[in-house]
Amino acid sequence: MDDMRDASAVGTPPSAFEFTGSWREYLPIAVTNMLLTLVTLGFYRFWAKARERRYLWSRTRFIDDHLEWTGSGKEMFIGFVLAILILGLLGLLLFGLFVLLSTNGLETIAILLSAGAYPASFYIVGLARFRALRYRLSRTLWHGIRGGSDDQGFRYAWTSAWMTLVGAFIFLLLPWSMITLWNERWSAMSFGPHQFSAAGESSPLLVRLLLSIGLGIGLLLLVGLAAFVPILAMVDSGSEPPSSTAGILIVLLPLALLAIFAVVPIFFYAAFFREGINKLSLGAIDFGFSARTVHWLKLYAGDVLLVVGTLGLGIAFLGYRHWSFFIRHLEAYGEVNLDSLLQSETRAPRQGEGLFDALDLGAI
Amino acid sequence: MAEAWLYDGQSALRYPAQVAAIEGGLRVAWEAGELTVPAAQLLHVDTRPDTQIYGHSELGGWRLGLARPVPDDIAAVLPASARYGSWVDRLGLGKTVAIGIALSALTIFGIFQIPQVAAPYVPLAWERKMGDAMMAQVDERTCRTPAGEAALKRLAASLSPDAAKIDIEVLDIGVVNAAALPGGRIVIFRKLLDEADSPDEVAGVLAHEIAHVRERHVTEGLIREFGLSIIGGNAGATVTGVMSAGFTRGAEREADGEAARMLSAANISPAPTAAFFKRLAKEEAKFGKVAEGLSYVSTHPMSSERQRFFEGGAQKGRKYRAALSPAEWQSLTGICKTREKADKAKGE
Repeated sequence: MDDMRDASAVGTPPSAFEFTGSWREYLPIAVTNMLLTLVTLGFYRFWAKARERRYLWSRTRFIDDHLEWTGSGKEMFIGFVLAILILGLLGLLLFGLFVLLSTNGLETIAILLSAGAYPASFYIVGLARFRALRYRLSRTLWHGIRGGSDDQGFRYAWTSAWMTLVGAFIFLLLPWSMITLWNERWSAMSFGPHQFSAAGESSPLLVRLLLSIGLGIGLLLLVGLAAFVPILAMVDSGSEPPSSTAGILIVLLPLALLAIFAVVPIFFYAAFFREGINKLSLGAIDFGFSARTVHWLKLYAGDVLLVVGTLGLGIAFLGYRHWSFFIRHLEAYGEVNLDSLLQSETRAPRQGEGLFDALDLGAI
Repeated sequence: MAEAWLYDGQSALRYPAQVAAIEGGLRVAWEAGELTVPAAQLLHVDTRPDTQIYGHSELGGWRLGLARPVPDDIAAVLPASARYGSWVDRLGLGKTVAIGIALSALTIFGIFQIPQVAAPYVPLAWERKMGDAMMAQVDERTCRTPAGEAALKRLAASLSPDAAKIDIEVLDIGVVNAAALPGGRIVIFRKLLDEADSPDEVAGVLAHEIAHVRERHVTEGLIREFGLSIIGGNAGATVTGVMSAGFTRGAEREADGEAARMLSAANISPAPTAAFFKRLAKEEAKFGKVAEGLSYVSTHPMSSERQRFFEGGAQKGRKYRAALSPAEWQSLTGICKTREKADKAKGE
């Protein structure tokens, strides 16, 4: 054990990160979580989330020890209630102001106000995303050390609001807006005494975006050809298309289109996620992520099969699947100096990821 | 005494430690210090194949790993492991599930009661606005003659003393139906007047709709639709949605009962109304509701209970009066005539 005091070598095979859980071990947790969530009309879900994370974190090994989730259901519940109250109050205020303005002949201002609510929602989403990350790091323990951030995220939320707008309107700036926000978010975080550093670049992502668009158009053309060639051939020969061919087309065409609209964003997102994590470092550790488009596709196809095959019950296993996928593809290189890995001095947030939960951002 | 490891929560170093049970707690000693931990401050963190891990409620990141099996004297001090979360653990899984199911059932029942409880408190002015907007859309089709309107008013007044507060219009639409709208409004479609053989039959239909207005069933329907759409994540309830949602069976029964009472108080026989419903049901079965514009029965299902209400309501030997005089009845059924002329003049 003494050599643990010294700098430990990281990155030696098999991997610095390892997921050691098993679905059999998780099954009772998933079943009871689902049962309790159902019979409490969803009230238990905060405690269910805490239990799920406690299990997943405790089965995640980094170098020589497992992670630990220290968050509680109660704090997530309180965070959620606070967020709902704040959002509800804001919504009511906005609605009242809108009615007041529009009934007093100030319709133009009222319309401007409601139009302004749209970018304002980006601000809130940005804030929620930032605070969720801060909360998760502050509740993640390794060797008794936690992460966090002293940043409240308000400045990030502003950046997020206008950059998301820019990315939405000028499509080619989307990679830049996404990776800049990722960098800014992670650079504000720390673990122990070390600040994260994120230096993702947008140019490789722009290339990937153009490739994605090309892929989308190519696949659409291919499907179009595949669908219309038999029809054209039959029209040419003067015969009616047999109904079986038409039936197959009617079933396959929407499926093919659905597949295209699923594959293209994943093709881009896989590159984005790799770029983000590959350029992320903490102290003397560099992170890496190895999942490519095909891995993501397998993950999501598995999700769909699992949920459909179990008539929806498989939903309880999605969190498990996604976390183990994430850890299986996560890598770390470099070294950890345990002597200098001191406790974080950031102020830990007292409530859970309320806004994130209230806006249901986990679903995205 | 037991061998253990320790994270002190200050640095990431893992210290070998010695643990001993003392009165009401543990004494933990490691190379850099010594600490007495009262049992109340110990938290169970995790149980691993070879180790049991405990935390300290006052010291974030402080972790003590005890090799399994833990000696009995130390184990006696250690807290039990949390499983489902504090409040569920306190109750036990079975009890929590039972209580949860009971509370959920109560909550769902309560949610379905909300419209009925809340409807009387919704300001009429809000509803009026919605009703006005709906009427504005069909203004072109509204039938108006002084004599026809007077007859309709008299019929309503004879059924209900507060009928003056209710806005009743005839719409030139070829559908056999009548409806209560938001804001205390009733519309009767022209074809219903065409199909009716006597004013008594119309009186029964009108009394039923007046009852809907009086009991604020429309408001209930609005709240029900709006409430359900909130749960469904779509707060923008549409008026067509509300109309198509209709009233609950309870509301229909209530309206039937009240209509029967109204007819009796006005000394109008309920038997013609019952006959009218029966006739409509037969026609609808024969022709289908779409072809003939027969939709009254499909929106007001003909239950046996309903039939009993109207058929059984007629008392033998009682001398009933006609709901309207022949002249009034003629004015009412002809209320849309001038509109037809106006349409023709416009070249429709």
